[in-house]
This record gives sequence, C-alpha cells and structure tokens, in this order.
Amino acid sequence: MHMDLDTFFVSVERLLDSRLEGKPILLGGVSDRGVVASCSYEARAFGVNSGMSMKMARQLCPEGLVIRGNSSNYMKYSDMVTEIIKETFPLYEKSSIDEFYVDMTGMDRFFGCLKMASESRKRIIRETGLPISFGLSENKTVSKVATGEAKPNNQIKVDMGMEKAFLAPLSIKKIPMVGDKTYQLLRNLGVKHIRTLQQMPPDMMEKVLGKNGLAIWKKANGIDHTPVLPFHERKSISTERTFDRDTIDVVKLKGILTAMAENLAFQLRRGNKVCATVTVKLRYSDFNTYTMQAQIPYTSADHVLIPKVMELFERLYKRRLLVRLIGVRYSHLVSGSYQMNMFEDSEEQIKLYQAMDKIRLRFGDRSVMRASGVEVRSIGRSNPFNGDAPILLANRRE
Amino acid sequence: MKFIVSTSTLLNHLQTVAGVVVSKPVIPILETFLFDIKNGELMICATDLETSMTTSIKVEADEDVTIAVPSKLCMDILRSLPDQPVTFSIDAGSNSIEIHSGTGRYKLAGQPGADFPKIPEVESEKSFSIKAEVLLNAITKTVFATGNDELRLNLTGIYVELKDDNLSFVATDANRLVRYRRTDVKPGVEHSFILPKKAANLLKSSLPDSEAEVKIDFNNANAFFGFNNTSLVCRFIDERYPDYNAVIPKENPNVLNIARGEFFNAVKRIAIVANKTTHQIRLKIAGSELTISAEDFDMSNEGLEKLQCDYTGEDIEIGFNSRFLMDMLNGMTTENIKFELSTPNRAGVILPQENEEGEDVLMLVMPMMLNNY
Repeated sequence: MHMDLDTFFVSVERLLDSRLEGKPILLGGVSDRGVVASCSYEARAFGVNSGMSMKMARQLCPEGLVIRGNSSNYMKYSDMVTEIIKETFPLYEKSSIDEFYVDMTGMDRFFGCLKMASESRKRIIRETGLPISFGLSENKTVSKVATGEAKPNNQIKVDMGMEKAFLAPLSIKKIPMVGDKTYQLLRNLGVKHIRTLQQMPPDMMEKVLGKNGLAIWKKANGIDHTPVLPFHERKSISTERTFDRDTIDVVKLKGILTAMAENLAFQLRRGNKVCATVTVKLRYSDFNTYTMQAQIPYTSADHVLIPKVMELFERLYKRRLLVRLIGVRYSHLVSGSYQMNMFEDSEEQIKLYQAMDKIRLRFGDRSVMRASGVEVRSIGRSNPFNGDAPILLANRRE
Repeated sequence: MKFIVSTSTLLNHLQTVAGVVVSKPVIPILETFLFDIKNGELMICATDLETSMTTSIKVEADEDVTIAVPSKLCMDILRSLPDQPVTFSIDAGSNSIEIHSGTGRYKLAGQPGADFPKIPEVESEKSFSIKAEVLLNAITKTVFATGNDELRLNLTGIYVELKDDNLSFVATDANRLVRYRRTDVKPGVEHSFILPKKAANLLKSSLPDSEAEVKIDFNNANAFFGFNNTSLVCRFIDERYPDYNAVIPKENPNVLNIARGEFFNAVKRIAIVANKTTHQIRLKIAGSELTISAEDFDMSNEGLEKLQCDYTGEDIEIGFNSRFLMDMLNGMTTENIKFELSTPNRAGVILPQENEEGEDVLMLVMPMMLNNY
C-alpha cells in the first residue's frame, strides 16, 4: 500500500490558519528564484505545479497567496502521521516527508487489508486533521499510481490480477520513472497510454531507452518486486544553496562553503560516520554546472574537510562569472570514528570538536560555528542518519 | 662465448636481486638483469634507477662479456628446470642468449650490456658497520609502520638517525610510530637519512640472519650496503623528516601491564567483528579489568572480551584501529608489555616490560576520536 498526504505542506498551513481554506495557495521560496514546493488544488486549477518557478506560478495564478512555509511544522506533522502508521502496521517505509509504503503481506487473514487501510486512513484524518490518500495493490509501483488516481483525499484498491487493466487506460506520464524527457521521447514514438507500452515487446523498450526501458516496461505491466524497506542507509550527505541573486563575492561564497562543510562534518560525527570522498558543486548563472571531487583518507574532522572543500572550490571556480548555486557533498560513508594524526592534530583541537558537538547537540546545529559562516542562514538540517529517507525538495523531484 | 652455471645457484642469486625490477618500467631495459662476466666472475645487476642491487657468483667462463638478459623469461626458464648445470651461450654481436639444458635449448633476445644504466658508485663520505642480524631486526620491526601516502613522501621510508653512541630507526605513517634504538651499535658519526621503503624491504628479504658484518657507506644522497657477495645502492628520500620526538608523550600516568600474547589474541578475535574499513575497537579499563569491544553498525555485528590485567591509573575508555594495535603487538618480541596511556585523545605508548640487551623499542599509536554523547 502507498499512502500520500495530499498537498501536505498546504494542508499543514491550513490547519494552522483556517483562513487559507478554499483559497489558491502557493507555498515555496518567496523570491523570484524560489520554486513552488506545494500548491493547493485551487491553485492547480490555474495550471500551477509543484516544482514550477515561483515567478511563473505567480503569472499563472495572480490571486494565489504566497506562503514561505516552515519546515519544522511539517516535520512535526509528518512525525505524527509516522507514529500512527508505525503503531498500526508491522512494516512500513517512509519514502519522503509525506509518503509511505506499507507492506501488508499476510494481514488479510486477520484483518482484511482494505478494512485495515481505510480505518488507519480515517484515524490519520481524525487525529491529525490532514487529508491523506492511499492506493492498495499488490506492489509498490501500482500502489503509487493508484494513490495518484485516488487523490484528493480518497482511496483506491486495485485487485490482484487487475493491475494491468488498471494501468492500461492511464497516460504514460503516470509511471513513476517517466519524466519530461522520457515522456517526450515516447510521445514522439506515438505512445500515449500505458496500454501501448504494455503491448510493446520488452526488447524494443530496451533498444529505445536502454536499461531503464526494461524497468519502465515492467512498471507499465504492473511488475515490481522491490521490497518495502524500513530503513534507508545514507550513502552520502550533502547540502546546496541557490542564491536569491547570483553572486561573484568570493568571500561570501567561501563563507557559505565553510558553513556547509562545517555543518556536514558535524552531521558525520553525530552519526558516528567517516567519509572518504568530498565533492563540491558549482553552477554559474548560465546554468553550466560543474562538480569536482577528491578522495581523502577516512575522516570526519573539520580541519581536514574544510580546507579540502576550499581547495576544490579554488580549482573549480575558474570562470569569472556570477554563481547561481554552490553545494558540498560527503560520500563513501562508513561507520566509525576519526583516526587521529600525530602531526596534524592536537589534543586541544579534538577536545574543541567534542565540546562544540556537545553544545550543538544541546542547543541546536547552529549554536556554535566558525565566524566566517555565521551570516549564512538555512543550512542547519535534521539528523541524516536516523534511517528516514532524505527530504525531497520540490526542485529535485523527478 | 659460453659459461656454465648450476640452475639453483644462479636462480638463488637472481631471486635476491629480482625484487628491484619493476613491472612496466619507463625504459624497457630496466626489465632486464645485467650479466657482466669478468675473470670467471658473473656480476648480476638490477636497477630501477633509484635502487640497485648487485650480486656475484663464480662461473666457468672462457671470455669477458656484458649483456642485458630479460629478467622474467630467464627466471621462468630456470625455475622450471631441475637442479642441473646449464650452459649459457652469449653472442654479443646479435645480443642473443642461448640456454642449453640437458635436454633443451632456449634462445632469448637480450639487449646490449652497454645500454644498461650505470650503477652509481657511492663516493663515501662516512661509513660504519653493523651486524646483519641487528640491521635485519631493526628493519623488520619498523618497516611495517611506514606510510604509503605519495603526498607525504617523507613518511614513506625509515628514518635512520646515527648518533655518536647509538643508532635509531624510526617509521611512522602519522597514525602510529615505531622507534627502534640500538645502544650497542656505536656508529661514531652523527648523521641522518630516510631509507626508502623499497630498499628497506629488499634488505629485509636479502640480509642473512647472522653475525656477518654489513658495511654501510653513505653520503648526503646515496647509501651503499655491502654484505656477502651482494650490494645494494639506494637513493635517499630527499625530504625533511618530521620532528618525531615532539609527538612522543613525556608523561603517561596510566600504565597497563599485560601478557602480549593474550592481549594480541583478544584484539585479533575482536577485530573480526569490527568495521572492515575503520577497524575500530574500544578498550575500556576499569580497575584490573580490560574490556575490548567492537561493533560494526553497518553489519550489526559486535563482540566483547574481558581480560584481567595489572593497571595503575584512572579508568579510561579509548578507541584504536585494531590493525595498528595488532601490527605493534606482533612487532614486539617480549612476553609482557607495558601500554601507557593518558587521556582518550592522546597517544598510547607500547613498551616491552624489559628491553632486550642493547635494544630500546618504543611504539606509539594515535587513538580514534570516540564520541560518547
């Protein structure tokens, strides 16, 4: 079963302020650079989608109310829903802040899947006040598509064996893997409905789209064997930032990178991890994006990571152009602690890290930091190692 | 011209110098051995331009000749022949080498001996001698701790420090350090150099474990090691060695006395369940009980061992890389050791309970930063 909270961010805002009921709402970055993270069904009527730039959304829907949103409220409500699902079902996967997969294998004998699912949906609506939809079927893909069809605030059950028939009349866009590019490609081939995909030989799909073609074909036929995974292991942690206004201020850029590198290093230490690869990402105002990465001995120490990030940035920032986005990523994560170096580390330094980490744990991520990063806002983040899937930002959605 | 030699004798000598030869060298001739025959003596040389080794054997030869022989082919042939005398026929004009065994004949293409790089002669400025077994022991006990990081070239060798009345060998990769000092060797000169890891390993595999004297001549750039019929010339690593004395803690108030074998075996067992990348283990000492534990969160494995020990000092919990600890405990030879500690963020020092005569061994290992919050 797949469950999805309808227009989650907007619904939370409506709970907090009932004046927003029934109005078109655009939620996301307030500046022109911002993107729409979530929008109400009233706004969707104007042609607005999540992921669209705020500037465009405003043009389409001039009477829309633009809200900035507050991520900590969303986390709180998301946790409330998670808590209910955790209590009700034996195995669940939280695939993003507002989406869940639940494995109900074997539950039929005791409760009846549909009955159980409907009851838990009603309970969520009753206890949190948030609208939620679900799709119940044999596997993850079909359930997810079904949830999309069920919305808003409703439920669908696709009976065993009916998966193909259920998918057939739908647009190929509804398949989770099909994005804009694939959609265009398939449309150019004359494929509009999933039915056509189902009838295509899998070899042909593979020829046209490579490995993904085969996966899409399987999904189109309602075949999906991926299990519901309760725990997501993080393979990397990263942070990035798009500027309201493109900048060429190197001091500012370095300050932001320092703050990012420092915060991520703290996340590593808090999660008891060390990393071996550092990547810096840079996007110029002309949208050309460059990344550069370096291998280092396993570490979680600020004084190794920050200079490495700086070095990569120096090597990457070659064009005298305005910068639109910068980001830092640590990957190759392994559980463990930092191995001290007798020539580079001193006891004071290690003690300083431990003391700073303690302060941060108690008073928050941004309670102690290097002065060069103090002006940078919106970098602190939640613990990336608690097993939840990363929070998908609207602009990164497929 | 021809010469006759026994396969096993020749192979033995070739194997001594073969360690120098690198695969896929910059210049192809470095993949060969130089055979230089003069007055019934065969000199075999191999070089990679940094390190060169030479060894010699008596052969029955009728003329003098020099030729470069392809190393791998030649050794493969000799290795597969039974022990017997073989005849080498060398035609210097066409650079061909023919090997006649009892039943077979093999013809190899060589290269002119004159093209082989000249082995540098060390214009000796200073020299001293040391017993082969002492040098062998010193290298064996230190070389494992040398670094592999090409960016820190100075740590990729053994630092040899000659003092008037003692001789120290130091190796470190910045995470652990070994200092092996001989107080019974008196070089009589004050000097220091960094011996590259490759040369050290070659010495380790070719030095006889005997009381034979090894003569060491050196200047600022090169050293010459002579023993038996073999000699090794190597270029030093031309870098500054870090001030290792500064990192050896002066005071370590907490002392753990423990049987080396027992400790080593416990660490070895616990290391099996430790994380395969970080090899992190935890030592917790409270009173007279030492708890060694490890947990691998990624795989959900964990293990714990409790040992009785003789400990004086405050209770402590400290993290180490089990590989480092095992290497060091393995490098110690005494039955009991002392493990000196101060705080969880400071180096631990492993010492033998009693040094063997003329020896002074000190091993140091940096802990891992444990977060206990």
